Amino acid sequence: MLAASVLADSAVEHYRGSFKNKAMLTPLIVAGLTLAMSLHGTADRRPMAHQARDASYLSAAVTGLLGTGFHIYNVTKKVGGLSWQNVFYGAPLGAPMAILLSGLLGFCSERVRANGGRRRHRVFNLPAGETVATVTALGLLGTSGEAGLLHFRGAFHNPLMALPVTLPPIGAGLLAGAVVNGGARPRGLARWWMRLLVGMGFAGVGFHAYGVSRNMGGWRNWSQNILNGPPLPAPPSFAGLALAGLAALELMREARNA
Amino acid sequence: MSDDGRHSPRARDGRAPDVFRPGGWVSMKEYSDHEAVDFVIVGTGAGGATLACKLAEYGFSVVALDAGPYFRPLEDFASDESEQTKLYWTDDRIVDGDNPLQLGSNNSGKAVGGSTVHFAMVSLRFRPEWFKARTKLGYGADWPIDWREMWAYYTEVEQALKISGPVNYPWGPPRPRYPYRAHPLNAAARALARGCEALGIGWTETPLATLSAPRGLAHPCVYRGFCVTGCSTNAKQSALVTWIPRALSAGAEIRDLAMVGRIETDANGLAVGVHYHRQDKWRFQRARNVVVAGYAIETPRLLLNSATDKFPSGLANSSGLVGKNLMAQANQAVWGEMDEEVRSYKGPPSLAITEHWNYEDDGKDFFGGYAYMSQGPLPQLWANTQATAHGLWGARLVQEMKRYNHVVGLKIVGEMLPQENNRVTLADERDQYGLRIPRVTYSWCDNDRRLIDHSIAFMSRALSAIHAKNIWVQEDDTCHLNGTARMGDRPDSSVVNADCRSWDIPNLWICDGSVFPTVGGANPSLTIQAIACRTADRIRALSRLGEVNLN
Amino acid sequence: MLDRNAERGAGDAYPGYDVLAKWRGPSWNEKTREVVAARLQVGDTPQFLTAEEFEILAAVADRVVPQPCSRSPVPVAGLLDRKLRAGVLDGYRAKGLPRDGEAWRRGLRALDAEARARHDRGFAAITDADQDDLLRRCEAGELDAPEWAGMPSRTFFKHRLLRDIALAYYSHPTAWSEVGWGGPASPRGYVRLDFNDRDPWEAAEAKPGREADALRTNRNVR
Repeated sequence: MLAASVLADSAVEHYRGSFKNKAMLTPLIVAGLTLAMSLHGTADRRPMAHQARDASYLSAAVTGLLGTGFHIYNVTKKVGGLSWQNVFYGAPLGAPMAILLSGLLGFCSERVRANGGRRRHRVFNLPAGETVATVTALGLLGTSGEAGLLHFRGAFHNPLMALPVTLPPIGAGLLAGAVVNGGARPRGLARWWMRLLVGMGFAGVGFHAYGVSRNMGGWRNWSQNILNGPPLPAPPSFAGLALAGLAALELMREARNA
Repeated sequence: MSDDGRHSPRARDGRAPDVFRPGGWVSMKEYSDHEAVDFVIVGTGAGGATLACKLAEYGFSVVALDAGPYFRPLEDFASDESEQTKLYWTDDRIVDGDNPLQLGSNNSGKAVGGSTVHFAMVSLRFRPEWFKARTKLGYGADWPIDWREMWAYYTEVEQALKISGPVNYPWGPPRPRYPYRAHPLNAAARALARGCEALGIGWTETPLATLSAPRGLAHPCVYRGFCVTGCSTNAKQSALVTWIPRALSAGAEIRDLAMVGRIETDANGLAVGVHYHRQDKWRFQRARNVVVAGYAIETPRLLLNSATDKFPSGLANSSGLVGKNLMAQANQAVWGEMDEEVRSYKGPPSLAITEHWNYEDDGKDFFGGYAYMSQGPLPQLWANTQATAHGLWGARLVQEMKRYNHVVGLKIVGEMLPQENNRVTLADERDQYGLRIPRVTYSWCDNDRRLIDHSIAFMSRALSAIHAKNIWVQEDDTCHLNGTARMGDRPDSSVVNADCRSWDIPNLWICDGSVFPTVGGANPSLTIQAIACRTADRIRALSRLGEVNLN
Repeated sequence: MLDRNAERGAGDAYPGYDVLAKWRGPSWNEKTREVVAARLQVGDTPQFLTAEEFEILAAVADRVVPQPCSRSPVPVAGLLDRKLRAGVLDGYRAKGLPRDGEAWRRGLRALDAEARARHDRGFAAITDADQDDLLRRCEAGELDAPEWAGMPSRTFFKHRLLRDIALAYYSHPTAWSEVGWGGPASPRGYVRLDFNDRDPWEAAEAKPGREADALRTNRNVR
């Protein structure tokens, strides 16, 4: 889910950037690969980690790190440097991190799969549920920060624009709470909240579609408004993260019950 | 040709055009000519529309007249420079003096909404010291208003227009955050920024009255670049789409295609109404107060054309200053060519600005200041500039025009000093309404020249620093018009007081750029609107004291 | 090789680009189509000026904005004639200059008289070089035949002749395509604003040696 969102979003944004730099194709290929691999993983019933999938997930993580570097370089080389103008309209600093996240989450899921029937899943010798929960919580915070920046750029002209900067951090807090408490009572609330975030992610597409329609020329002027209006593919990344959060909570429950 | 409001009035029969919906209407309160309204306002631009809105919201009965048509931008505005000259005041006017002004396109509007329908949307606050230019800076005249009071009114206008501006403004005392974020910079703006950084001075995104996010039914800017020929998306926060709809819903009446020719005064020396031309005949609207908001040429023209036996030199003119101290703003430019494609036709023309020389006084051999901004001329304007200012014609003109997409330019808005010899008078010739046309006389003084020279030298360095080629100077251009009915503390040295009220005729008010004692080096629209907001507050306060004619 | 290509590129900076190809696309709205359609109907016949005046104007316009024979010409004289007939003014008039229509009539007749005085033929019939020479004298304010009737030739040249002809020529889509301007833009404006940025609906500039690329790109501009 996250990979799909990243794929679509970076496709649109890098198309806007006319693929001026050949490296701008990389996230498309990698996110596409990640998406394909996770589909493959879902279809693949064998309970073991797959080397090609692992390689793909790790390359996604590396791409995310490198992309962040590229984007920082892009922003700072523009006149004005690290200014609001360039942070608003230059290459988004936080966006490549989403690829990193999708890679990490994919990698975690492979570890879980490799652990097979064992009750206590581990990733790098850490408890799987807690690890995924932590990665997801950080992802929610980062994605929320990105949404906050762009919604600030839009002057929060619609009150609903406050949702993606308030609900996900609370979700991240609940996940963190679940990790710290070892999945005691707040977990029910956390699970409920993750479902809320999944809903928000999909509803966000609807709101952004409405936003596109409110730009001059509406959908008839799609060749401009898809690019200049609110990004349609962005909100589902919240849904992707929230699903990972749900999985983490489930792993933690299984681990506790074991 | 479809009817776009230029041939017969649209605002009548209890309704006015809905500027947000093609073919749409909104309801409008109507007054009859013989019913004396509290305020009749002549002109619906930055001054008149703002005041009409505020006074109507305060519960006064208001009729605002405009000589121009009532457009619906979404359906009436073409993406075409020639067609859109319909927004300009192009009635006959004579210009003379040593430096005759260019009028029409860049400084006079004839439409409901006035010049704000085609202004470049640059929305700057004045430097605080300018309000006491004589006392603090040693030139011009003091304003009878304190800058701190203006600071609050600037905030009100910035909120009303949802100005998009930088998160932090680099010059002057702190101001609240602009309601909307700045727009993305185009290449022309980045060229300005590079030049400023090379020369070590500050720059920022220009605060603009155009939306960077949706607002109600108004669309955000699509960077089509036709701003000064009329915004067809309603992103531009002109008076037409901001103050006027508010005025209508507060109960004001707007009359389009209504040219006021004369203010009537009675034996007591009070104004009693205005004669106006609409639908092929002269009419008379009675009023308890008359507000003139026709901008710095039409305002003095109307006051002078309203002379009577009691006021033989025109209304509000016991000081003899009506029409005098006309101040244009210098609008010189330096142009060059980049190796890169710039395509400055995309986006609002002036996305980046430096006010460095408005706030820095060291290193100047002149009084006053100037800002300079990036430019984005469309082809007709650019061809006219190349032909008449650069002197190109023939094969050279056609060849140079093919470099259009590589052109960068920097252009100032520069302060010119008030001089009594720069003035608006009446010529003997008459216009289509039978009214005497204005003669506009203008000559630069030495200080004006020194300011211009300084700016040209500095901007030339800025373009050289970014490796622009074929740099040349456009020496003769002027923009905004102010003065001609200045405000002040004394009846013998000003036309109106701080409340924009005539010293001579207590129920005659003037509310537009005419009242400026000095102009500063900043576009005047935000200040005109702030003054109008203040005037409305003062009128309400005075009326509570029984000091406004409301009987 | 490179030089020859560069020369050819200089003649046609935006090969194959036609702003009218966007006519039905989202860059043009109904109002724009209406006014440009009317402009495209304007032909080479006068409605305001006399036939003689019109012929002189056409000759003057040919010198101010010379056009290549490789395409159909912009009817500059016709466009200006329509503007004079419509009585569209600039909004200001220098002292000594009559209103636009009268200024043009007088100026054209005066230029013709100056040509006859020097070359025994009307302005339209003298050589290009002689026409340029007369126009340069007009620009410098050196012409003072009685036909000027007090109107300074210099003021006429700058405020009427140059201005009106430049505005007329660059009001035409053919001229827009020639300079590589994006053209009408509503409801669709632009997305890519930085240096060397080009939206797919903008003209591609021919880079030396790669004119064919620009030609191919420009044929797909909609």
